Amino acid sequence: MLSFFKKTPAARKSYNDCSGCSLCLLVCPVWRRSRDISLTPHGHAKAMQHGLSAADVAASVEHCTLCMACEPVCPENIDIIGMILELRHQLDTPTWLHDLQARMQERAARPVASAPSFSTMLLPDQALHARADILARIAVLLGSVPISDDDGSDISLALESGTVIPEQRLQRFLSPLRQLKKIIVADGLLLRHLKQWLPKANCIGLGEALSGHADVRRGLRATDLYLIEPRAYHSDYQRLVKHYDRLRVAHGCTFNLDLQRIAIPATARNLPQRLGLAASNDDEQARWVLHGRNITRIVVESLEERAALEKASGFPVVHMAELADDSAQF
Amino acid sequence: MIPETSDLALAEPGAIGPCHVGSDALLGIKRQQTNPTRWNGQSWLEFAAALRDCDIELRENTAACGTFATDAGGTAYGLPHGVVIARSAAQVSPLLKAAQQFRVPVTVRGGGLTTEGESVAFGGVLLDMTGMSRVLHVDTDALTVRTEGGIFWHSLAEELRRHGMDYLSAPLNLTSSVGGTLGVGGIDVNSPRLGCSADQALSVQVVTPRGDIVECSDTQNAELFQRVILGYGQFGVITEATLKIRRYTPLRMHYFYYDSLRTAVEDMQLLNRNDASDYSGILTIMDCAVNLLVAFDSDEREAAFRANWQPHLRGHGEPGFAMCMLRRYALRPWKLPEAWFLYQRKRELFPEFRRSEYMRDGLMYDRTVVFSRAVWKFWGSKQMVIPDLATSAEKFVEAVERGNAVCRSYFPHYTLYMVGIKLRQEHKPHYEMSCIPADAKEWAYGCEFEPMMDGQVYSRDYLQSFKNAIYDIGVELGGSYYRFGGMMKGYIRRVFGDEVVDRHLAMKREADPAMILNRDVIF
Repeated sequence: MLSFFKKTPAARKSYNDCSGCSLCLLVCPVWRRSRDISLTPHGHAKAMQHGLSAADVAASVEHCTLCMACEPVCPENIDIIGMILELRHQLDTPTWLHDLQARMQERAARPVASAPSFSTMLLPDQALHARADILARIAVLLGSVPISDDDGSDISLALESGTVIPEQRLQRFLSPLRQLKKIIVADGLLLRHLKQWLPKANCIGLGEALSGHADVRRGLRATDLYLIEPRAYHSDYQRLVKHYDRLRVAHGCTFNLDLQRIAIPATARNLPQRLGLAASNDDEQARWVLHGRNITRIVVESLEERAALEKASGFPVVHMAELADDSAQF
Repeated sequence: MIPETSDLALAEPGAIGPCHVGSDALLGIKRQQTNPTRWNGQSWLEFAAALRDCDIELRENTAACGTFATDAGGTAYGLPHGVVIARSAAQVSPLLKAAQQFRVPVTVRGGGLTTEGESVAFGGVLLDMTGMSRVLHVDTDALTVRTEGGIFWHSLAEELRRHGMDYLSAPLNLTSSVGGTLGVGGIDVNSPRLGCSADQALSVQVVTPRGDIVECSDTQNAELFQRVILGYGQFGVITEATLKIRRYTPLRMHYFYYDSLRTAVEDMQLLNRNDASDYSGILTIMDCAVNLLVAFDSDEREAAFRANWQPHLRGHGEPGFAMCMLRRYALRPWKLPEAWFLYQRKRELFPEFRRSEYMRDGLMYDRTVVFSRAVWKFWGSKQMVIPDLATSAEKFVEAVERGNAVCRSYFPHYTLYMVGIKLRQEHKPHYEMSCIPADAKEWAYGCEFEPMMDGQVYSRDYLQSFKNAIYDIGVELGGSYYRFGGMMKGYIRRVFGDEVVDRHLAMKREADPAMILNRDVIF
């Protein structure tokens, strides 16, 4: 009887259902930079409704930064990110990714680690791997959580570029994770997919995990601008908007949220730009995040955004793991 | 004698034939076609070459044109020959000069939230104004903002909030554009106090149909200002605007529930006449479940309302209304499906208006976001018609009740949204041939009749018949409409009269000799 009154989640829709409300434009960093509707989910949807193919909108689809901000604001519940990834999948793999298949095959051939004896694991991203000091600090903060030796960065790259992931590689990646109860994931795109691949595991973003830690929260100041990592946040928006709202009420800090409570990214880079294959200019986006803020410090969840903000602002920029009191933990 | 449709199609741009629709005309009666004739493309190549000579990017590919194939209404479809993204007045000016020279129609589009095809191009060039979305200057001392005309109200609010400011009055829709709104009116739940959005404009920069860039206001080029504000885009493209702003405040919300439309409207008008609230409006779930929203910017205003006016309201609080509905359906058990619909609607809608991230200590933050998201989530659809009636205060109850009866006969579920609009006497010239009815004195009242499509697809004829039935009420009552352009332009002569329409047509011909700008929207 109770289930009769229980809300059931609405099924995800496709581009065909786009009503053209343009709400996705308001949160799209590509639109903010270009003011060109054809480069936005709205533009893709209307083009597809008009019978165009992935090839017709290839240039436009490649502009997307996959910040995922458009999904939670879509009133039609369209699987916008899924549609963009599908369109990329239909396009030819970019030449600069020619070695990705080989990398995935090589990783797939590695021996599978034995079943873990622990229940929680941390999946860092490449930026964290590059900062061993911060990674170690995070692991300690999270209760000496083990760090996965397979971070899935090649899978994340394949997802983002629309490259086919060999089944063997995917199983090699997922196999050690299946026994875990909790997986803390730094890569927001990977997090989104892990939730689908491992529905029984509690997959959460690194930002959420750290921001729930008492030592980290103690380090927050009312004059901080706290930068939520957009991908992880938007992939679980309905729940996390409340999580961060509680954090704001408790600590009074400012967030990179717009009036729709959508996280404004500090960078707006598409994949080639993130890989350093194309020039990027983050200054305008970073300036918009900072515009009109009365702050003294910037706290970031993502190391990738740290560099952009250090360049664009005169404020100190710290990773949230650095907020914890050194004497207490390290 | 009723002219043949083909006669109208061949008429000069600007000609408005007599309306085919009789007051009793529904099925089987010939009426004006919904889409205007597509422009024939004559001189397009020369026009395109002229634009390229001016370094104006013209996109003619299918993807670019297809993006703008329809508007929010989703019933009018048309393709431009090409699309230009507006970047500056200096770019729009040569575009309009070339369009005038080669007689190429220019359809201007802001948020594309029209429902009657007003922002759909039936050939010619589509000018996408969202390319001009910058805020140019915020003056927190003078309480003004200078912004580009293509900006969405929500984007403006985002910028203003960083300064602790807010706009005065704007549609409860995040993606309405400033320029588009100033051209048609724009109503908000604070319009009973502050007037329509168009009344908040202090000055605008306009590119005229001949391509001149002109600044105008009540004191500078006042005649152009009068025609551009509420002018349905006939007399110029608004490229910049200076608007009044104010300090941002969250709202203290109150909801009162009624089982009678008449009582709710009378109570709303009581509040408006006595300046008893800062915000008021009516939103219905059904005609027996009517919500009067009342809100305040300050504790003082709220306290005065509680002391002086709340006791006079005949609406219930939520528990009281639940009891009222229990009684109603206990006595009418055959109407239980209706009760179930009400319950379901309440279960879906109410949490959306009480989301914790927008509510704190009883205050609602960012009301436009809350309302607009709910509007799109619960009323949005690929196909939308929102016929409306605007009348004087005295005629409003009758208009609402008659419009409600029409809705009942066409759709199982629908919503009415009603709000008052405070009029500014000094802006009377702006109001001529607009949504403001000629006989309205201190307030005009507007009601939108929005059917819920419930996943159904209705034919354009069915929707047109529904709109006609609503608009016929307006003709009989001597009212006006917000959406009288595009597919509803057949009502223009009936509601405004030949003298006013011919005078405006003459002004239009003078300002726009080739009749290129927003052709078929009004003229």
